[in-house]
Amino acid sequence: MRNRLKVLRAERNWSQADLAQRLDVSRQSVNAIETGKYDPSLPLAFRIARVFGLGIEQIFSDETQAEQAAE
Amino acid sequence: MRCEPEIGKAARGRYTRAMAVAAVLYIGVVALGVTVIDRFAPPAWLTIVLALLPLAPAMIAVRAYLDYFRALDEFQRRVQTEALVVTLAVVTLGAFSYGFLEEWAGFPHVPLFWVFPAVMLTWTVAQIALRARYK
Repeated sequence: MRNRLKVLRAERNWSQADLAQRLDVSRQSVNAIETGKYDPSLPLAFRIARVFGLGIEQIFSDETQAEQAAE
Repeated sequence: MRCEPEIGKAARGRYTRAMAVAAVLYIGVVALGVTVIDRFAPPAWLTIVLALLPLAPAMIAVRAYLDYFRALDEFQRRVQTEALVVTLAVVTLGAFSYGFLEEWAGFPHVPLFWVFPAVMLTWTVAQIALRARYK
């Protein structure tokens, strides 16, 4: 699963620690999600969407769907 | 807002303190057991009680770890779970294989209490490796 977490965070000038605090998770968790090494649970994905004031699909995208759309 | 990293720190602090208490208690009961058995040749029932006493600090450590685990976020729990699965596989397969080596190939006998340090060592290495993998 792809995500725009790093870009969205940079737009708001938030560090990983800032975002982690807003999400009630560890900084390591934010880093793992950003780098695509960990896909968050649905409740955490909703929390992320709420923090950025966006819909989940505006932040996360399914790789297979994204690849198919590109083709 | 609830601040999980701070809660994580608090949980780690409680875990460290409980583990320190368990370690001190463990040293105490082992020293007590060794001293009583060596100097007083206690009856069999007392020897069994002394041999089971180290279980008390071990239970404190297990309880402390469970509390710590419950305070972690979902990603940290995943790392811990994977580390525990790796540890389970390495130690059980290691013990299983060494059992055959003892029985069939005459390898020296290793007392069962070495399983616990083997678990702790493997678990520590697994956690370090997994944290590096997810960095």
